[in-house]
Amino acid sequence: MLRFDGVSFGYMSGSAINDVSFYVAPGEFVALLGENGAGKSTLCRLCNGLLKPSSGRVKVGGQDTRQVKTSVLSRSVGFLFQNPDRQICRNTVSDEIMFGLENVVASPDERRRRRDEVLGLFALDGDIDPFGMSRGERQQVALASVLATKPKLLILDEPTTGLDYRECLSTMEIVSRLNADGTTVLMVSHDMEVTADFAKRAIVLSGGRLIGDGPVREIMKNRRLLDEASLLPAQIPALAMFLSELGELGKPDKIGELFSDAFTVDDMVELTERANRAPETRQ
Amino acid sequence: MIKIKDVSFSYEGNPKNALTNVTLEAARGDFLGIIGQSGAGKSTLTRVINGLVPHYYDGVFSGDAAVGGRATLESSPEELARSVGSLFQDIEGQLFASVVDDEVLFGLENFGVPRDEIESRVEYALAAAGISDLRTRAISTLSGGQKQKVAIAAITALKPEIMVLDEPTGELDPQSSRRVFETLRELNEKHGVTIVVVEQKIMMLCEFVSRLAVMNGGRLILEGPVASVLKNAEKLEDAGVNIPRVTTLALRLREHGLYDGEPPANIPEAARMMRTAVHASL
Repeated sequence: MLRFDGVSFGYMSGSAINDVSFYVAPGEFVALLGENGAGKSTLCRLCNGLLKPSSGRVKVGGQDTRQVKTSVLSRSVGFLFQNPDRQICRNTVSDEIMFGLENVVASPDERRRRRDEVLGLFALDGDIDPFGMSRGERQQVALASVLATKPKLLILDEPTTGLDYRECLSTMEIVSRLNADGTTVLMVSHDMEVTADFAKRAIVLSGGRLIGDGPVREIMKNRRLLDEASLLPAQIPALAMFLSELGELGKPDKIGELFSDAFTVDDMVELTERANRAPETRQ
Repeated sequence: MIKIKDVSFSYEGNPKNALTNVTLEAARGDFLGIIGQSGAGKSTLTRVINGLVPHYYDGVFSGDAAVGGRATLESSPEELARSVGSLFQDIEGQLFASVVDDEVLFGLENFGVPRDEIESRVEYALAAAGISDLRTRAISTLSGGQKQKVAIAAITALKPEIMVLDEPTGELDPQSSRRVFETLRELNEKHGVTIVVVEQKIMMLCEFVSRLAVMNGGRLILEGPVASVLKNAEKLEDAGVNIPRVTTLALRLREHGLYDGEPPANIPEAARMMRTAVHASL
């Protein structure tokens, strides 16, 4: 679905992406992690042709982004910007959704059908002016417009920033459902709990270089990698790591071992129950 | 230091109350976190503290608010700004200089800080925000996170008694967010600054603040020390608040009869909880 092959890209101020290679298969849900300035947003813009690599190659669905027009790519790549106000340009929610569809869907009937579908999905009122909405609501309008185009690859640049917990959950549930139906998702997020809950794989950037790529569960327990990328793990993996690194007496002990694979609250509860049932773990 | 008594407020053109009968006190040196979902009244509450409600935002105000001994109704926002430093959600709207240095200098000159003190204040504020190396940079070339730190430095330089911050880490990554909160903790602990901060990153917030205030539908529904507020899982869920995972874990362990202590506020406390839970039935 998405292939980076030795990709480098530099702005006037210096290099932003340096020799990055990876492949994302159709249907994957990949988190893109790294601190501010690591190159995440640049990498996203390379995926939809807004930026073209200065060396190396980016392929989306087999097409080289340097050989295809951005407008053509945008038919298969949906892109949600960090700031919804960079995206929203019409005076009603309904017009905003139709605007994106005009470039992608020829039939007016089909456009209206798709508009109504996403209005329902997000429980949005089509007649409202997006500029009177809260930032969280505007973010949902922007996402609705992107999803109406039914992209094969969905790029989300911090989709939950500025959202409260409920808005965050409802947004992520919609994204998750689309992913389950086959949409490939590449998501930049600083929220490690959201990453732990929804993404399966993580790609880690630091200073424009790819320094880690693997299952989220493994990445979140790789202290060396997290430190190098200035990342903090989600709370439960952080707790598991803390327990396994330091025992009561300052060295690893059985409790650390017991919880070393725990990733969720459920894991922690289940392991505690099991330990309390099994006499052999008693110290 | 902050006394809000029975305050209600509705913005002009919107009959619905943004705040309803809110009573809240913060003593000198408190570090108070405000949480709640969008539209709960968190930002409005911060505007009551810095006097922008009702001086700048028109609407219907009732009740009493006093900050540093001054009734906000009887003081202008300019007077209040001498003791209350504010950081708004919209950083772009707060920064107006073209270079970082000038942004920090502007407030100091405006407040009539003596010349010989200015340089040390600028250095202190830039170091506290961790941006000493950005001093000569054009603000337009900075990332969102860096701009946020510039805004914090500009306020820190003024050495206010109270700092009110509305989502100061909104666009920052986790490490940078922690650095901002470590800066706030230092201002709070070493310099006695009273801090009121609205934040969505609740797990991090709980590690730093001493008290939590929970807003829901314009009302203050819970207030108190972090651990005692976190015990009210149902009320927090009603308020649309994301409970820290280690708190959820504590509550689940309690349901299973495996733990009956206070919910932990951070990872080391959670580790102690897990040791207790594993040893509980031995």
